[in-house]
Amino acid sequence: MDENNTDMDENSTESVGDEIQSTPIDNDAKAVNIGSGVRVDGRIEGAETSDISGTLTGTLKSSNININSKGAFSGDMSGHEITISGSVDGEINSEDYLIVNNSANIKGVIEYTSLQVSYGARIQGTLRHRGSVQSYSSVSTDEVKEDEINENHEGDQ
Amino acid sequence: MALFGSSEKKPEVKTEFMFDTESTINQSTLAKDIKINGSLESTDYIDFSGHLTGTIKSSTINLKSGSYVKGTITADTITIEGEVDGDIQAKDIYIKSTAKIKGNIRYQNIDIQNGSIINADLFYSS
Repeated sequence: MDENNTDMDENSTESVGDEIQSTPIDNDAKAVNIGSGVRVDGRIEGAETSDISGTLTGTLKSSNININSKGAFSGDMSGHEITISGSVDGEINSEDYLIVNNSANIKGVIEYTSLQVSYGARIQGTLRHRGSVQSYSSVSTDEVKEDEINENHEGDQ
Repeated sequence: MALFGSSEKKPEVKTEFMFDTESTINQSTLAKDIKINGSLESTDYIDFSGHLTGTIKSSTINLKSGSYVKGTITADTITIEGEVDGDIQAKDIYIKSTAKIKGNIRYQNIDIQNGSIINADLFYSS
C-alpha cells in the first residue's frame, strides 16, 4: 500500500510540473528519491532515506532504504532499516531491520540483524545473521589487524 | 453350533474395524524428551518437540520450540520453531521467531518471522 502511494505521489508531482517541485524539499533531510524509469549508476553515501522506484546500480549507503516494487538495485547496499519490495542483485547489509515483502526478488548475500520475509518473496542466496556469525564480519577486521601488526613489526625491525 | 460361532466372532471384528477407521488422520506427536538417531517418516503430520539426528520426512512437519534436528528434513509444509542444523526442503516453509537454522533451505514459498536466527543458503525453485 505504501509503495503504491509513493509511486502515485511521484507520478503526480511529475505530471503537475515545476511549481510543486520548486517547493524546497530541504536537502537537510538527506533524502534520495529515484523515480520509476530513472536509471542511476554510481555510489550514494550519507543518505538518511532512500526511496528507489527506478534502477540503481552501484553502492548505496543510507540509514533507511526502500526498494519499491518497481525498483531494481544491483550492487552493495547497507543501512539500518531496509525494506525490499522490488528486485535486488548483490549484497544487502542491514544493521537493524530488514523487511522483505512478497513482491521482492533477491539474489545474493543478505547480512541481517532482524529479518522478516513475507510469504511469496523469492530469495536466492545466503543469509547471515549479524549477531551469531561473528566470524563473517570479523574476517575483514582481523585482516586489518594482521596488516597493522605486520606493519608494526616492520616498524620495530 | 453356528450361533455360538457367530456370537464369538462379532465383537472381535468390530474392535479391529474401529481401530482402523478412527486412525485415518495420522497425526504423530513426539514429546520433548524423545531422542532419535535415525529416520522418522510419516505420510501425514508430525509434531516434533524432541531431538533428532538423521532424517525426517512427512507431508506436514511441525518442529516445536525446543526441538533440535540435525540432518535432512523433507516435507510439503514445514513450520520451524526450534533449532535445525542441516538441509531443509519443502514447498512451504514457515520460520517462526524462536527458530535457529543453519544449513541449506530449498523452498517454493518461505515466510520468515522477525527474531529468527538463520545462517543458511536459500535456494528458490518454482
